[in-house]
Amino acid sequence: MRLGDRTGIDVVATYALGAHGMGARGLSARAHEATLPPPGPIDVPPPARPADAKQRKLMSRAAWMGALAMRGALAEAGWDAGREELGAYFGVGASGAEMGELAALLGASVEAGSLSLDRCGREGLDAVNPLFAFQIMNNFTLCHGAILEGVAGPNATFFSRGAGTVTALEEACVALAEGTCDRAIVGGADTALHPITLAELEREGLLGEGLQPAEGAAVLALARTSPSALGRVEHVQVLSVPRQRGARSSEPAALREIAARAIGEALAERSCDVAVLAPWGHRAREALLAIESERVRAPVVVDATAALGEALAATPALAWVLALDLLADGGKSRALVVSAGPDGDVGVVVLARGGGA
Amino acid sequence: MSKTERRAVITGVGAVSAIGVGVSALLDGLAAGRSAVRPIKSFEARTFPTRVAGEVPVVETNAGFVKDTLGALLRPGEAEAWERAGLLRDRKVCFGLAAAAEAWRGAGCGEGERAASLSIGLGLEQAFLEDFAAALDGATLCIGPGGHAGGEGVRFRSRVDLCAELLRDVLGLSGRIASHVSACAAGGMAVAHAAALVTRGAADVVLAGATDSMVNPLGVGGMSRLGAPSPRAEPDACRPFDKKRDGLAIGEGAAMFVVEEEARARARGARPLARIAGWATTQDAYRATAPRPDGARAQAAMERAVRRANLTPEDIGYVNAHGTGTPLNDAAEAKAIRALLGPVPVSSIKGAVGHLMAAAGAIELAACLLPFTRDLLPGTAHCTEPDPECPIAVIGPEPLPARVDHVLSNSFGFGGQNVSVILGRVA
Repeated sequence: MRLGDRTGIDVVATYALGAHGMGARGLSARAHEATLPPPGPIDVPPPARPADAKQRKLMSRAAWMGALAMRGALAEAGWDAGREELGAYFGVGASGAEMGELAALLGASVEAGSLSLDRCGREGLDAVNPLFAFQIMNNFTLCHGAILEGVAGPNATFFSRGAGTVTALEEACVALAEGTCDRAIVGGADTALHPITLAELEREGLLGEGLQPAEGAAVLALARTSPSALGRVEHVQVLSVPRQRGARSSEPAALREIAARAIGEALAERSCDVAVLAPWGHRAREALLAIESERVRAPVVVDATAALGEALAATPALAWVLALDLLADGGKSRALVVSAGPDGDVGVVVLARGGGA
Repeated sequence: MSKTERRAVITGVGAVSAIGVGVSALLDGLAAGRSAVRPIKSFEARTFPTRVAGEVPVVETNAGFVKDTLGALLRPGEAEAWERAGLLRDRKVCFGLAAAAEAWRGAGCGEGERAASLSIGLGLEQAFLEDFAAALDGATLCIGPGGHAGGEGVRFRSRVDLCAELLRDVLGLSGRIASHVSACAAGGMAVAHAAALVTRGAADVVLAGATDSMVNPLGVGGMSRLGAPSPRAEPDACRPFDKKRDGLAIGEGAAMFVVEEEARARARGARPLARIAGWATTQDAYRATAPRPDGARAQAAMERAVRRANLTPEDIGYVNAHGTGTPLNDAAEAKAIRALLGPVPVSSIKGAVGHLMAAAGAIELAACLLPFTRDLLPGTAHCTEPDPECPIAVIGPEPLPARVDHVLSNSFGFGGQNVSVILGRVA
């Protein structure tokens, strides 16, 4: 979706939780100075407000990170009023059940080393938080934050192993461009450090291929127009990459071909002085680095997942925040952000520096 | 043709529900006023607080079921390989495949439609408690990387987008995939997204819909702990808008649609079944545990969908309500419907097929084809004593003969996501 130089969607504010800590800025400086800690668990503050503490009991870790990023972005944007009509579009990941809850359920459901459904029904269910289901519903990564912040406009939550978060950005931009809402928040929150997710990444061979599991959340505050925009979304597109039937992921050659086409359409003869790549796994990394050096040759190239680790649904959103930070810090004018996940799709976003940066 | 003139129509539909496998089973059953909530058979639920469900009459989803429903779309040995890999343990995967294959064939799709996108509503991952149990060491679950990732056949849980991935393979789809995970609103949102992609020119054909199953120990157990299902283990457990309603009945199944640009569909000889005329989403932003009592944000979704369709409230001839049968949902939704649409006929099919969760909006849009194909409005199974606290024109258990041109379907998700979708009759 080409939004155009004049009609692009304005980025009013950003906020992120990641390896750099928590805040609106600072990601690019830490990435540039190579002072980010190795990918891994991040410091997430506990709830400080009574309402947060009550809600946190129903939330997964990803949902809490998402809520904090949403709150931060809203505060940075100064959007205290009119939140009922604010749009909200998120890429979200797998369910994040508390392992202690699961262990309690199973501990009260096992007989002679095997699951007993009779015992599960009689005792196991009573061993867990009655609102346990709310911790594991994928959409609650958005909804808990929306409830805490009173965000009640048009919305969508996409499951994301990369492209879903870019789809969230595209839908937010469409909603703004069509006038469905005037302002919206968009982003993603996820953790690859949940034990069950780690087991899945291991079984899929991705940990063995060098994937660095991480976690985080990032949110952009978008408006159709803003007098003090940090930046502008000029283009957002998701493209499917062909792959063999039954194959776990696409071939690097196919990824390169599609990424090259997408980048060509996205930049359309315009220059680009920052490229932020967010590849999932080493094969996608090789493909994106190759196509960047062939087609883009930006003066500044940052591999976001190498720097921050793989935070799954949060990764593209963290990459956008990093790109906007790079534009603001370095006096650059345009950034290309390319993400590629094993879901087979490529996301391409072009961000321009705004007057308020 | 300009983008503003593009119209999204449904040219194929497939459905799997407690009433049976296939959209004809669903529509015939609804036309006959059938209800299919009954004791759970797919797992031993006798000690569970909830023991009835709108369960698809397939005890085990396996390679045989997939081969029966997908037929020549499969390669030799493919279904068996999926079964060996444990991919078919998640019932919603099989239901989604079956519904999609029916929709694809019904629309007469072929090579020319392989560029289709996929917009699918999906429930949360199915967790396999039996796999977890083997990893329990005292009070600790030993799951993680390295040696704790599980052995052969152990999956712990199915991946959310597994069905989408298999659909892309089986149908050879080359378009983009959007997996909507908005709880009970996911099906409606997926179909609305498909219509949006078509009307704005981002796609010509989209396979859209949803699939879900929570008829498994953790799904039924988790919902029971929330107190959402009716405590009564009876076939009439779910009685939407009835004075004695006391909760929902968990359901399972899928409905998928081929959504395409109308002129393109007609040019290739496909017969439009309905037009997707309008849609809108809002959030309650109220509580995790309850809908907003005044129904204001649900009303806003309906109002905006009507506006998007360039209609007036008077044009809506029938509302397929979210109508869960819970005291809070039905009262709030009734307020919203009454405030915007007045005495329009309203029904909920959840008493008949249960609450399909992520697939609820999709199966209910399939039910919304009944008015266009048979001039019948579906009934509300087990609503025998309409609740005066729900002052709307609820259709009783029997379907109501009527000819209407526009119908509106509501879906409201846990967490507060709301979507309204309007279908219109096509000439």
